[in-house]
Amino acid sequence: MLPWVIANPGATVDEVCARFGYERGDLASDLDLVFVCGLPGYGPGDLMVAYIDDEEVVVEMADYFAQPVRLTAPEALTLLASGMAVLSSGQAPPALERAVTKLQKVVIPDGTDALVVDLSEPELVGDLRRAASDGIVMRITYTGLASGVTTERDIEPWSVFSTLGNWYVRGHCRRAGDERVFRIDRIRAADATGARFDPPAEVPPPVVRYLPGEEDVRAVIKLSPRARWVADYYPVDVIEETADGGTVVRFSAGDPAVVARLLLRLGPDAELDSGTEVEAALVDLRGRILGHYAG
Amino acid sequence: MKSFPWSPFAGTLRAMHNVVERILNLLAFLLTAGRPVTADEIRMTVSGYDQTSDAAWRRMFERDKDLLRQLGIPLEMHPTDAWEVEHGYVVPSDAYALPDPGLTDEERAALWLAAKVVHIGGQASGPEALFKLGGSSLTVAGEPLAANLGQGRDELAHAFTAVVERRLVQFTYRDRARRVAPYGIVHRRGHWYLVGAEDEDERIKVYRMDRADSLEMVGAGNAFDRPEGFRASDAIPSAPWEAGGSDMVARVSFSPEIAWWARRQLTPNTAIVEAADGGFEAELRVANPEAFIGWMISFEDGAKVVDPPELRDRLVARVRGVA
Repeated sequence: MLPWVIANPGATVDEVCARFGYERGDLASDLDLVFVCGLPGYGPGDLMVAYIDDEEVVVEMADYFAQPVRLTAPEALTLLASGMAVLSSGQAPPALERAVTKLQKVVIPDGTDALVVDLSEPELVGDLRRAASDGIVMRITYTGLASGVTTERDIEPWSVFSTLGNWYVRGHCRRAGDERVFRIDRIRAADATGARFDPPAEVPPPVVRYLPGEEDVRAVIKLSPRARWVADYYPVDVIEETADGGTVVRFSAGDPAVVARLLLRLGPDAELDSGTEVEAALVDLRGRILGHYAG
Repeated sequence: MKSFPWSPFAGTLRAMHNVVERILNLLAFLLTAGRPVTADEIRMTVSGYDQTSDAAWRRMFERDKDLLRQLGIPLEMHPTDAWEVEHGYVVPSDAYALPDPGLTDEERAALWLAAKVVHIGGQASGPEALFKLGGSSLTVAGEPLAANLGQGRDELAHAFTAVVERRLVQFTYRDRARRVAPYGIVHRRGHWYLVGAEDEDERIKVYRMDRADSLEMVGAGNAFDRPEGFRASDAIPSAPWEAGGSDMVARVSFSPEIAWWARRQLTPNTAIVEAADGGFEAELRVANPEAFIGWMISFEDGAKVVDPPELRDRLVARVRGVA
C-alpha cells in the first residue's frame, strides 16, 4: 500500500480500502504502526508521518518506500501464467493482453517467449461459459468417455474449467437429477433451451472429484517404475511400493473399459493382478482391436 | 502458498506488530544507508534490536532476514572496504524495486481476475503480488471460468527463476543426472515442460517437469544465452505423437462413430480423405510411436492403422500383450 499511497497523494480512505482489501479500522492501525517507524535517531524528524486527515490518507517522510518491491519468482510466475492461461483460452478482454505484454517485459526482459501457457480451447467453451454466467439451461449431446454411449441431456452449467489439459463443464444434470462433470471435447453439440436457472452462489474448485461408488469395479495393478505417473494421474490407492521402484495400486472405475484401455496403453509397464470385470473387458477390447488386423 | 504478515500491506495479525515495526525500521535503514552495513551496526542502530542477549539477537536477525527475502527483498553481502576484511548488508536499489510495468486500472483488474480463476499447485494466487503492482478494487465473485495448471508451485518457481536469471539447473530425469541451460518453460496439454539444452550438447530438448526430480539451480546468473530467435512454444509439438526422434507417416482410418471426436484432436493442416460412410482417413506425422499407439488405443476399435506395416505390427504386438 505504501508505495501506491506515496505515488498518489490525496487518495481517500475508501479508495485505499477498496484497492488493497482493507477494513477501515485495519488501515488506521497500520498507519499508526508506520507512524512509529523510520530512520535511526527515531525522533520527530526521522519517523515516517502517516495518518488520516479528513478522509485523506497522508504518508510523508517515507520516500525510501516510494518504489514497490519487485515480485518474487513465484508471484511473477503465477501472475503471468494466470494471465497467459486465460488469454490462450480465448476468454479474455483486450486489457488482459496488454497487461500480460507489459508484465512480461519487466519480468523476463530478455526473453518474452521463454514462458508459454497454452490451454487450447475446444469449441463450445465460450458458449458454455456464457450460459453459466447468464444462468441458461443448455441441451447437450454427450458421448460418455468410458461407455461410448451418446445421450441428450439438459444441464444447468455452473462452471467451466480446465484441468490436466482437458476442459470440463460442471453443473446440475436434469436427466440424472444430480451434479455432474462433462468433458467438453466429448460434447458434440450444445444449444440453449430457453429455460433459465439460478446459478449457485459458490462455484466449486476446478478439479474433477472422483468418488468411488458402490457399483464401481475394482482391480489391482502392478506398475513398473516407468508407469508410476499413473498413481499421480488417476485416483488410485497405493497398496505397496515394490523393491524395484514400482507400485501396486488399487484402481476403481465406473466402467472396466477405462482400466482395460489403460492396461493396453501401458503394455509391459503394467500387469493386472486381480479384477475379473477388468480382465473380461481387456479380453473383449483385445478381440475387437485385433479383429481389424486379422488375416 | 505461504502467506505472510506484511501487516502494512495486509492489515492483519496484530500479534506480529513488533516484528513488522522492526522489519520496517530495518528496511528503512538498509535502503537509506547507501553503503554496506555490518550486523553489529544494525544491532546497535536499528530500533527493536536493543536490549536482547547475543543468542536472542542472532535468532531474531536471522528470522528477519528470512522475512525480507520472502517478501522479495534482495539482501546481499558486500565488503565494507577495499581490503574485504569486513562484510555488510546491502539492499541494491535496482534489484529491490519493481520496474514499473505501467499498468492501467483496467489492466490490473483483468490480471486480478485471471489470477483468481487460475490455480497453480492447487491454489490461486494471493493478493500480495497485485498489491505490489498497485492493487485493484475489482471484487471477483461467481466467475464461472477456472483453470488448474497443476504442478507444485515451488519447483516451478525454481525453474522459472533459472529461466529469468539464465542460471543452470540440475535434476534427475529418466534415472540420469542432467545439467541443463533452461531456455524456457511451457504449459501445454496439462503438463509443464522445461525446454533447454544439456551440457556440451546444442540440441534443444524438452523435459516434463513432473518427471524431473530434485530440481535445483547451480552456479551464477547469466550462465548462457538463449539461441537466436528462440521461442519456447516451437519446441513443444501440438500433438504428443509429434514429439520424438522417429520420422514416419502413418495412414489411419477412423470409423464414423468416433470421427467427430478424432477430428477435434488432429493438428490443423492434417491431410484428410472423407469416406462415404461418414468416417475418414488421415495422414499423420509420427515422431513418437509409443505415444501414437497409446492414442490409437484410446479409440478402441474405432481407429485402424492402415500404413506403415511396421507401425501396424507394433500396435498389434502391444494389443496382443507381447510387447
